[in-house]
Amino acid sequence: MPGLDRYHRQMLLPGFGEEGQKKLLGSSALIVGCGALGTVIANMLARAGVGHLIIVDRDFIEMTNLQRQVLFDESDVANAIPKAQAAKNKIAGINSDVTVTAVVEDVNHTNMEKLALGGYSQGQWAGKPVDVIVDGVDNFETRYLANDCAVKHGVPYVYGGAVGTVGASYAVLPHTEKGDAAWEAGEASGATPCLRCIFEQAPPPGLNPTCDTAGVIGPAVSIVSNYQVAETLKILTGNLDRVSPTMLNLDLWGNTFRQFKVAKAYDVGDCRCCKHREFEFLDGKFGSSTTTLCGRNAVQITNKEAAGGKLDFTEIGQRLEAHGTVKVNKFMLRADITDNGEPYELTLFTDGRAIVKGTKHANVAKGVYAKYVGA
Amino acid sequence: MIYLDNAATSFPKAPGVGEATAAFIANDAANPGRAGHRMAVAAEQALDALRLKLTRLFNGASHERMVFTLNTTDALNIAIKGVVGAQPAGVVPHVVTTVLEHNSVSRPLQALADQGAITLTRVDCDDAGFVAPADIGAALTDATVLVAMTHASNVTGTIQDAAAVGTLCRDRDVLFLLDAAQTAGVVTVDIEAMKIDLLAFPGHKSLLGPTGTGALYVGERCPGPGDAAAAGRFAPFREGGTGGDSSTPTQPALFPYYLEGGTPNTVGLAGLAAGVDHVLATPLAEVLAHEQALCARLIDALSGDDRFRVLGTSDPARRVGTVSFTVAGFDAPDVGSILDDSFEIAVRPGLHCSPYAHQRFGTFPDGAVRVSPGAFSTANEIDQLVDALRAIVE
Repeated sequence: MPGLDRYHRQMLLPGFGEEGQKKLLGSSALIVGCGALGTVIANMLARAGVGHLIIVDRDFIEMTNLQRQVLFDESDVANAIPKAQAAKNKIAGINSDVTVTAVVEDVNHTNMEKLALGGYSQGQWAGKPVDVIVDGVDNFETRYLANDCAVKHGVPYVYGGAVGTVGASYAVLPHTEKGDAAWEAGEASGATPCLRCIFEQAPPPGLNPTCDTAGVIGPAVSIVSNYQVAETLKILTGNLDRVSPTMLNLDLWGNTFRQFKVAKAYDVGDCRCCKHREFEFLDGKFGSSTTTLCGRNAVQITNKEAAGGKLDFTEIGQRLEAHGTVKVNKFMLRADITDNGEPYELTLFTDGRAIVKGTKHANVAKGVYAKYVGA
Repeated sequence: MIYLDNAATSFPKAPGVGEATAAFIANDAANPGRAGHRMAVAAEQALDALRLKLTRLFNGASHERMVFTLNTTDALNIAIKGVVGAQPAGVVPHVVTTVLEHNSVSRPLQALADQGAITLTRVDCDDAGFVAPADIGAALTDATVLVAMTHASNVTGTIQDAAAVGTLCRDRDVLFLLDAAQTAGVVTVDIEAMKIDLLAFPGHKSLLGPTGTGALYVGERCPGPGDAAAAGRFAPFREGGTGGDSSTPTQPALFPYYLEGGTPNTVGLAGLAAGVDHVLATPLAEVLAHEQALCARLIDALSGDDRFRVLGTSDPARRVGTVSFTVAGFDAPDVGSILDDSFEIAVRPGLHCSPYAHQRFGTFPDGAVRVSPGAFSTANEIDQLVDALRAIVE
């Protein structure tokens, strides 16, 4: 166990102390996504002395990330370093007590559980389930995957999201199969509804703004992610009673901070995930699939379960016009987009499927889709 | 859904295929030959009956030489690697093929050429999509051991003169491998009359059976297991259990087991038997005429509109039921997605696993849209497709 002196200031807090610090140093956290939210989360959890961080992200650092993604700098862009690896490099200099497992992969139903159960981890952390999953992702599909995994394996999950000037965060202390998790046993205040209790389905593709189409200001991300860090520290130090049972919603432009009471969502709902224990995203029933198209340098992205209804090309087209030429007809929307200096042609069809031209790599195509269409 | 992708696999399957498959797996799904108990024997007999049926359909000499495979690709690999592998050491044999081939022919051949195991000549076709048999003849050398050719292109649908090529090969003592992926079950394939030495075909296209079924007919001229004294053996592509004669240390020298190591897809083959029965009940010419009429309907509707360009001949009588075309201003995958998304019509955009054919017709790498009606497609479905295509380009 490393010396605790450097953590003196936080150990002064009630309910923290040396005991809480030792818990942190013995804890493992999975940070899913290492963009604006994920870099703040990784930075603060590393400084707080969480013993092991698994950081997973498929992307490489771009110049437009630096406005808000606090762990990265211009040399990372110049050297084309993957986000997860760059985060690991920075943390090595911030707190050598912390072990970082960097995973440069797309998070999907084939690797989500491996990530959460320590399948990528090395040394003393190998094969050990994480103590918390923290959400730093930019799409609902991955959030539902993380939520499924959290409920299935009884791991707390701290949701967070920010776009434009608004953000939201909420900690899930999942209902477990046996009902014997620390937050369910004894005097604890109990499990909280899962993300699917609150939002049963992801919004249809193209409906939600993304940071790349609607913009984002750094403080919205910082506030949400630091709120997530606070909830995470409560969970990892065993201060489960202090975990907020409400969902934070904020708008920095509208000057509103609201706490929504969501506790009843579990009781009144009929959640497939935490009531029926059907993990539809982990099972690959929902979500997107990709096909590399023959001949063309192109990848097709299809949603396994069509959301139903047709996309509003007019609205999406208006959003994409800031990024390049957009052509719309009754059947499709075509946008020429330059992303991180690379030209892509994005063709979107009415049921939400898309063809991304300019790459043969599914990860790249999914990234372009998540950034400019949103899912 | 309007299904116009029968060149990839037929849908729907023949009446009775689903039932035969389900009945076999529910009642009879023993491993053929392996035990000698009555269920195993029955399974073996069912396979044997299907071998015979297929051999008669294609006019082969001996039903033991009808080898079941997983698909046409499997059959073609067994054939190509078997022939090339049988050549004496120190000789680099020459193989002739065409620009119209599917990757299931061109990839194994190219890989062998890259390894230095063969030299390869790829014969061109004309603008209409036909390979002149004389061009094949001109490509033959003293070192040529094999001509591997498709019977009908899966891009242009053009039917090649297999009999002429077969005769030419026979005269020059070269083996002739015919890829009948697009023709078996809809165009007459006559092993004897067309002088075919190796016939590869799928069970799941015009024979209307399940995927995972196919066969290779291996003619008498191919070096076989009994030809130890000859230059070489037609070596098995895979080796393993055959259900009988377990004592020999290597593959038993007996067709079809020589090339059929491993448990066969009996379930799929039970379905294929029902498909073949259906095919045998109707003259092939009728089915071909039906598919050609549907293609003619489509070609007629598209010709005269310069936004559409049909690849290959405009004469439907020289095609199987396959038409590929480009649409001005639209990439093929986009047309395919719109037809699926907005019109619920299934077609196949892209390169159709035949890059050389698309290079030949100037549609590489963008590809084309391929429409392939089947035995159960209707004129009304083609009309709906035409309306949709017009709506897209308007």
